[in-house]
Amino acid sequence: MTSGFGAALAIAKKDIVTQFRKKFEAFSMFLFALIAVLAFSFAVVTGGVVPEEVGSALLWVIIFFTGMFGFAPIFLSESETGTLRGLATAPIPAWSVYLGKVIYGFFLMGLVEIFLVPIISVLFGFSILNDLPLAIATLLVGTLDLAAVGSMASALTMPSESKATVFPLVYFPTATSGLMLLIEITKIIVLGPGLIPVLLIFEILLAHLIAMLTLSASVFHFALSP
Amino acid sequence: MSTKVVIAENLTRRYGYRVALRKVSLEFSEKGIQGLFGSNGAGKTTLMRVISTLLRPHGGSISVMGFDPQEEPEEVKKRIGLVGDKLLLYEELTGIENLRFYSKLYGLSSDFFESQVQDLAPRFAIDTWLEEPVKNLSTGLKKRLDIVRSLIHNPELLLLDEPFSGLDKDTTEDFQEYLNEYRKLRTTIVTTHNLAFGADLCDEYVTLRKGIVVSQGPISEFDQTL
Repeated sequence: MTSGFGAALAIAKKDIVTQFRKKFEAFSMFLFALIAVLAFSFAVVTGGVVPEEVGSALLWVIIFFTGMFGFAPIFLSESETGTLRGLATAPIPAWSVYLGKVIYGFFLMGLVEIFLVPIISVLFGFSILNDLPLAIATLLVGTLDLAAVGSMASALTMPSESKATVFPLVYFPTATSGLMLLIEITKIIVLGPGLIPVLLIFEILLAHLIAMLTLSASVFHFALSP
Repeated sequence: MSTKVVIAENLTRRYGYRVALRKVSLEFSEKGIQGLFGSNGAGKTTLMRVISTLLRPHGGSISVMGFDPQEEPEEVKKRIGLVGDKLLLYEELTGIENLRFYSKLYGLSSDFFESQVQDLAPRFAIDTWLEEPVKNLSTGLKKRLDIVRSLIHNPELLLLDEPFSGLDKDTTEDFQEYLNEYRKLRTTIVTTHNLAFGADLCDEYVTLRKGIVVSQGPISEFDQTL
């Protein structure tokens, strides 16, 4: 029998291959992010730079809303086409389906961020990349946190008839606490040396991520078998 | 006395206030083709979903191959194959990619997977279509591929929910031939509202009406006029 992690990787790989062939979500996400960055750069940037604390918030707000395009269809497409039954009747633990979708969501968002973050950095005159290891760690954990919340929100939205309304109602409140931490960490990174305060908040962010992953994974079987 | 593969006692399942299964008690014998008959809305699909772990019953008990689908879902899942009203295929993937994906979820070895594909694909005349994306296949070919998907792990119990609806004559004959060949080796439960067809195919039957078992027994005792 396949291990839960093996099944999660197979599900993530299947979704990534599908995404590369369909390109719809990735394209929508990137286009939205680009337009948002351009709009903010015209509105907020003065003298070639944006105030650092504003830039920190803008970066994560753009990533947060961009994620909506990618995370919302994570389970909805499987639910609508009926393929979710194939996953639900496979001899794999329910958490592996959730984990597979989180990995896919993380990959999709990461793909957009690879282009988005350098563009933001240049257009906003924003120094997040000054401390590259910490910036990368924050982006990795932050994106994983948003993918964990977004995937669960997508799963919880499945039974609803008003999916477009319900998804943000679930995603916004659950992701906001992580979002605040990410903005705070990014602000400290760009404002100057402050490794100790960053690490303290980073620990809270990690705890948030672990809590979201374990809580969602442990109750996910209810989403698959109502 | 033959072994029972499914035993349900006082099984109840509701959708809101509507009762789909009302204290259903029935047994399906091991091996052979067992028919689950009834008109639309009789509760056939609901019962199949409970057997396949997709739905939780609200009352009563059920045993599938000696396992409780709610307590030991993975034991049930690895022993069943399901063909339902919706195809469990990913449109962007090719036929072979779909089959390989499911083989990973079922933990099949490469050798076993290859031998199953070599056996099943020509039998259902999809061997020349396996490299095509599913979205390019006709409805009949997709249905054939979905049948192969359900058989890829050589399930002990095959659950077929209205499997012949939408199938052309050739596919129906190929599938019936396959079911007949495995009649003594595997248990197959088939739902159908076509009673004449069901009477020809099955060894035993259960008839549901409005969520209640109205008759069950060997097919020789089946009275289509009831």
